[in-house]
Amino acid sequence: MHVASRFRRLFFGTARLLPAFAVIVVGLQGCATKPPADDPDAVADYEQTNDPLEPTNRVFYAVNNGLDTVILKPAALAYRFVVPGAVRDGVHHVLSNIGSPVQLVNDMLEGKPRRAGDTTMRFLINTTVGVFGIFDVATKWGYPDHDADFGMTLAVWGVPEGPFLFLPVLGPTDPRDAAGFGVNIALDPFTWIGTGPNHPGWTAFTWSRFGLNAVDARERVLDPIDQIKKTALDPYATFRSLYRQHRRAQIQDLRNDNRETVPVWFPQPAATPAN
Amino acid sequence: MITRRNCLTLAALSALVPLSARAQSTDKAATFVKIVGDKLVAVVNGPGSVAVKRAQMTQIINSAVDVDGIGKFCLGRYWRQATPEQQKQYLALFREVLVTNITSKLGEYQGVTFTMGRGKPQDEEAVVSTTVVRPNNAPTAVDWIISNPSSDPKIIDVVAEGTSLRLTQRSDYASYLTHNNGTIDALIAAMKNQVSQNS
Repeated sequence: MHVASRFRRLFFGTARLLPAFAVIVVGLQGCATKPPADDPDAVADYEQTNDPLEPTNRVFYAVNNGLDTVILKPAALAYRFVVPGAVRDGVHHVLSNIGSPVQLVNDMLEGKPRRAGDTTMRFLINTTVGVFGIFDVATKWGYPDHDADFGMTLAVWGVPEGPFLFLPVLGPTDPRDAAGFGVNIALDPFTWIGTGPNHPGWTAFTWSRFGLNAVDARERVLDPIDQIKKTALDPYATFRSLYRQHRRAQIQDLRNDNRETVPVWFPQPAATPAN
Repeated sequence: MITRRNCLTLAALSALVPLSARAQSTDKAATFVKIVGDKLVAVVNGPGSVAVKRAQMTQIINSAVDVDGIGKFCLGRYWRQATPEQQKQYLALFREVLVTNITSKLGEYQGVTFTMGRGKPQDEEAVVSTTVVRPNNAPTAVDWIISNPSSDPKIIDVVAEGTSLRLTQRSDYASYLTHNNGTIDALIAAMKNQVSQNS
């Protein structure tokens, strides 16, 4: 019931926004001009960059940058200044432990049983021995963390990444990852519990989690982002390149993770007889 | 039957020879990375003022990194369009920018250590994987791309968590050039500006 109503709200909310969004995009003269066909190098560059909405994307990059400068970055700096490193680590671990169910679903949808096993063990160990996820004991016990989200799942299913997008609030992404972001939220059991005036506790929890996640994530990249903005001639293009390379590396790691699923103590399948 | 087996042995052997040569060059690349890495760690964690450390670091970069090669790669298709004078200016600036970018991070890497992973051949090059550990930071997977691993090994790229230094730099320059009508002088001016701001 809650899920259905949430979906409806989400969908109709977005649908109502769409015309406004379309007006903004058209108003921004959203398309990058394709270079003339007689300049094959430039055309190759344009296609490799795969950023047909670049002018629009740059506007949102500027908007996000502004929001970051006045809201998120000061919050992250304050967080770093006030909260000791060990506590920040604890907060990070708790947040990532709360994210385990979604991670597990994605591990399974990606067809990676060993990753799903790792996630399950991590959740069990860290929730108990790690005191509600504050301490990451599981990594020390041989169950390291890995990345899993629905964008990666779509990639494994063969969905192409599509052109680059820079969305308000969300930041650098592509159609596949933007869709994955939405599905990830829908998959999260914590979002199934209703929010609103009747559930003040859960509303507070959901928003605290959302806010803490943003501040935690921003705090962890304070120095790298400062460095990029200082050293890049075109930070937008640098972030675009870094985002894509990072996503491709995550997906490559996922594809290459083909560990055996038969435990060592289980009778091994008979080796193929040599002839 | 016997001839067939001989043929197979021969085929297997011929396949093995280039394989072992490649394995050997990969080993050489790994040794090279280990030596350079040890030197870098010694400088970063060693005593001495920041100025001294920067000088030592610059020396290591100049001897172990193919800075000009990376510079050419980063300019991409514009390298051919540049005049010899522009190429010379660009390479000199590129070296300065690269060295400043690396040495300015010296402080952040205090206490750094690294462990060697496996190496593998990739085309004419070799990739050596390492894990870099900094205090209070999650371990980072760093791959080193080594050119001419058996004769004259040089670092031509550093890939941290899947992001390549030279690819990122190339897209930065490419975008800057696209938005400045592809004039290489504009890029050179921007780089000059960058160098003067940092020094």
